[in-house]
Amino acid sequence: MSEANTVKLQPRLTLQSQIDDLARLWPWTEALAAEYSIPADTQFAIQLCLEETLSNIIRHGYQGQPNHTITVDCTATAETRELVFTIEDNAPAFDPLAPSAMQDAPAPKSIDQLQAGGQGIRLLRKFAGSLAYQRLPGGNRLTIGFALQR
Amino acid sequence: MQIFTEELAGDVTKVALDGRMDIEGAAAVDLKMNIIAGSSKKLLIDLQKVSFLGSMGLRSIVLPARAVNGRGGKVVLFAPTDMVAAVLKTSGIDALVPVHNDLDAALAALQ
Repeated sequence: MSEANTVKLQPRLTLQSQIDDLARLWPWTEALAAEYSIPADTQFAIQLCLEETLSNIIRHGYQGQPNHTITVDCTATAETRELVFTIEDNAPAFDPLAPSAMQDAPAPKSIDQLQAGGQGIRLLRKFAGSLAYQRLPGGNRLTIGFALQR
Repeated sequence: MQIFTEELAGDVTKVALDGRMDIEGAAAVDLKMNIIAGSSKKLLIDLQKVSFLGSMGLRSIVLPARAVNGRGGKVVLFAPTDMVAAVLKTSGIDALVPVHNDLDAALAALQ
């Protein structure tokens, strides 16, 4: 993606590392969807991927400790017709795209094995258009893209 | 998020969920779902009006389903939208809890 042609679509969303603060995510994505006429299915996928990513960071990255922050930015480029969400945290390194991350969540074989709430990475991989992970000095950056179809 | 219950013929309890099963929505229905699951042996969870389902929402379905199954009962999921059905499929739940789009088929699966 060309940095020069990237446009920021929404003011940055800064969340505290508390599950309750995720209530602020829906109004943010809803405002974005309304402003840019994003199709309902794409909005569903965006909300799903962001909710899974952010709740994983809060519960596993920050291990439930409050007083940390997570930022979410949304940008787009005219050329690629893709919405790009960039999520940054200051948690210990965790690459949700690493093969080891999927090994932690095998497909359940019985309802007793079904991990309640343990499907986040599987859902993220399925519903995101594109995914990229970057280790930052003292944090993580996950980039999630969604194609805007015409 | 709203939740409505209805007793149907054949000892079936229908639970209709309405709204977004995100983290907030899941928290809003968890207690009631668990209470219903504690007393029902044939549970039909109507997902027609669920406009969003995330993994915390899945938890609100899986735990009651597990409780009913654990007591020898049966659970079916009814009429999810395409996107909700895709979440159920991706998470593997559709292989463990039957999903039906036809009410007669859903009721038959509970007998």
